[in-house]
Amino acid sequence: MIARIRSEITLWRVIVAIIFVTGIYATYLRFLVGFRASTNLSDQMPWGLWVGLGTLCGIGLSAAGFGISAAVYLLGMERYRPILRASILISFLGYMTVCVGYLYEIGLPWRFWHPIVMWNHTSVLFDVCVCIMTYTAVLTFEFAPAVIEKLPWKRFRETVLQYHHKILIGVVLAGVLLSSMHQSYLGGLYLIARGKVHPLWYSQYMHAMFYLSAIPAGLALTVMAIYLSMRSLNVRVDFGILSDCGRLIQLLLIVFAFFRVLDLAANQAWGYAFQRTSEAGYFWLEMMLLLAIPISLLSYEHVRTNPERLYWACAIVVAGFMVNRLNVSINALQAAMGTHYVPKWTELASSVLVIAAGVMAFRYAVIYLDILPKATSKPLSRWISNGGLPAQA
Amino acid sequence: MARRTAMLIDIKRCIGCLSCETACKQLHGFSPDPEPTLSDTAFTVVETRGDKFVRKICMHCENPACASACPVGAISKSALGPVLYNADKCIGCRYCMLACPYSVPRYQWTKLAPYVKKCDLCSERIKAGVQPACSEACPAQASVFGSRDELIAEAWNRIRADSSYVPHIYGLEEAGGSCVLFVSDVPFEKLGFKPAPTGNQPMPTLTASALGDSPKVVIMGGTVLSALYWVTQRRREVALAEAEEKATLNKIKRERSQP
Repeated sequence: MIARIRSEITLWRVIVAIIFVTGIYATYLRFLVGFRASTNLSDQMPWGLWVGLGTLCGIGLSAAGFGISAAVYLLGMERYRPILRASILISFLGYMTVCVGYLYEIGLPWRFWHPIVMWNHTSVLFDVCVCIMTYTAVLTFEFAPAVIEKLPWKRFRETVLQYHHKILIGVVLAGVLLSSMHQSYLGGLYLIARGKVHPLWYSQYMHAMFYLSAIPAGLALTVMAIYLSMRSLNVRVDFGILSDCGRLIQLLLIVFAFFRVLDLAANQAWGYAFQRTSEAGYFWLEMMLLLAIPISLLSYEHVRTNPERLYWACAIVVAGFMVNRLNVSINALQAAMGTHYVPKWTELASSVLVIAAGVMAFRYAVIYLDILPKATSKPLSRWISNGGLPAQA
Repeated sequence: MARRTAMLIDIKRCIGCLSCETACKQLHGFSPDPEPTLSDTAFTVVETRGDKFVRKICMHCENPACASACPVGAISKSALGPVLYNADKCIGCRYCMLACPYSVPRYQWTKLAPYVKKCDLCSERIKAGVQPACSEACPAQASVFGSRDELIAEAWNRIRADSSYVPHIYGLEEAGGSCVLFVSDVPFEKLGFKPAPTGNQPMPTLTASALGDSPKVVIMGGTVLSALYWVTQRRREVALAEAEEKATLNKIKRERSQP
C-alpha cells in the first residue's frame, strides 16, 4: 500500500502541489488581506510583476492563435492546419489566464465590468480591455467546435457546427484585426509614460515593437507546447511543420531585430546601451536571448530539423521575450521612479498558479479532445482539407 | 463658462511653516503628523530643498494625462479648474499613477477596497466660493488662490517687481499648462522640478497618434485580409474543380480500358 502511494509521488506532482498550495495562499493574501500583504507594489511602482508577467507576457505569448488562424483560414496555408487547433487552444487559455490575472491586478475586482459600460476612448488601457474581452469571445468561438463535436446530441451538434462554419471566416478576420490592435496597444500603454520609461525602451513606436515581437514569441511557445505534447501525450504532428515554424520564427525575429535596431538609432538611444548601468545589462540580456542567440541558432539546419534542439531554441525565444516585457514594465521604470522593486514571492506564486492551471487545462484538453492528431488512430479527414483532394491533384 | 481658478505657489515667499499641510490634513480628518512625501493621507507636503521649501501638490493640468489614461473615465477636468476623481467609477487599475508626469496620485495600498487619493483643490469649497484650505492657511501669501488669468498676471508682476525671481512660471505652459503655478528665485531644475516630458505639448498627444491610426489600420488590414481570403478561396475552388475533372477523366479511362 505504502509502496503504491510512494510510486504515485513523482517530482512533477510534488512541484504541482507546491505551486497550488503557495498559489492559493497568495490568492488568500491578495483578496482577503490586501495589496500590502501580497505585493511589493508602491506609489512609485504601481504596476509590477502581475502586469509584466501576467498580462504583457500572457497576451504576447498567446499571439500564435491569430497568426496561425490567419495563415490557415485567410492565406490558405493549409500546411499549418494540423497545429491550428493547438495554437487556438494555447491562445484561448492564455487569454483566460490574463482575464483571471486582471482580477488580481485591479484594486476593486468586483468592478471588472466597468470598462464595458464606462468608456473613455482616449485611454489606451480602455482599448486594451475592450479588445481583450472581445478577442477572448472570438477565441471561445473559434475553439468551441472542439468541445461541441464531443457532445452526444447529433442533431444539435450538426446544426450548431453548420452555422458556426458559416460565420467562421468573418469571426477569424475580426479576430486578426482585434489581436493586431491590442498586441500593439499593450506597448502603447507605456507611450504616455514618456520621461519615466528608460530611453532604451521608450519610443514613439513602442506599440509597433510590441506587435512585431509578439508573433515570433507566440509561435515559439506553440512549438514548445506541441513538442511537449508529442513527447508525453500520445499525439503525432509532422515534424516538418514545426521545422517550418522554426524558420518562420527566425524570419520574424530578423524583421523585429531590424526595426528595433533602427528605432534605437532613430531615438539616439544606442549610447545608453554602452553605459555601465543595470538597464544596459538588462538590455543586452534581452538582445542576446530574444534576438542574437535564437536567430543564429535557427539558421542551422541541424537545429531546425532536430526536435529537441528546436525546442530549446524556442525556449530561448520565449525567455528573451519575457525579459523584454519585464524590462519594459519594471526595469525601465525603476530609475525614473526612484525606487527598487523586487516582486514579493506571493506575486510570483499567484501568477505561477494561474499559469499552471492553464497548462493543466491544455494537457487535459489535448488528452480528451481532438486538439492534435492522435498517434494511435488513423488521421481524421478533418486534418486534411477537403478530404485531401487538392493535395492529390 | 465658469471662471477657471488656480493656485499660485511662490517658493521665494514660502517660510516652510507647514500650515498648508496641516490645514489640508485637518480638513480631510487625517492624522496631523507631517509626512515626508505625498501619500494617501497627505495630499500636499512641503519638501525641503537646500534652504528652500517646495510644496508638492496635484498640478491640476489643463489637459491631464491621468484623465486621458483612465480606462473608465473616472478622472475628469472640471470647468472650474480642479482635476476630479470619481471613486464610484474607479476600478483600481492604477494607470493614472503611471501616466501622471508629476507622479502625484497615491493609492490606498493597505485597504481591501483601495481607491486613488489626490488633491481635488477643495473642489466643494471653491464651488461654494470659499478658497482651498491650504491657501487660506498660508500666512505668507506663498500660496494664493484666484482666477488663473489673474494669478498669471500676479505672477508676472512679482517676477517684474523683484529681479531675484527666475523669469519663468512653472505650470504656465508645461505639458499644456496647469492650474497650479510656481514662481521661484532659484532655478526650477535645482529644486527638483523636471521639465515636462512633452515640453509644452499636452501629455495625451503621446497616445493620440497611436490611437488615431487604429481606424486606418483596421480598415486597411480588413481590406487586405479580405482580398487575400478571396484569392485563397478562388485558388482552392480552381484546384478542387481541376481535381474533380482529373478524377472523372481517370474514371472514364478506367471504364474504357475494361470493356
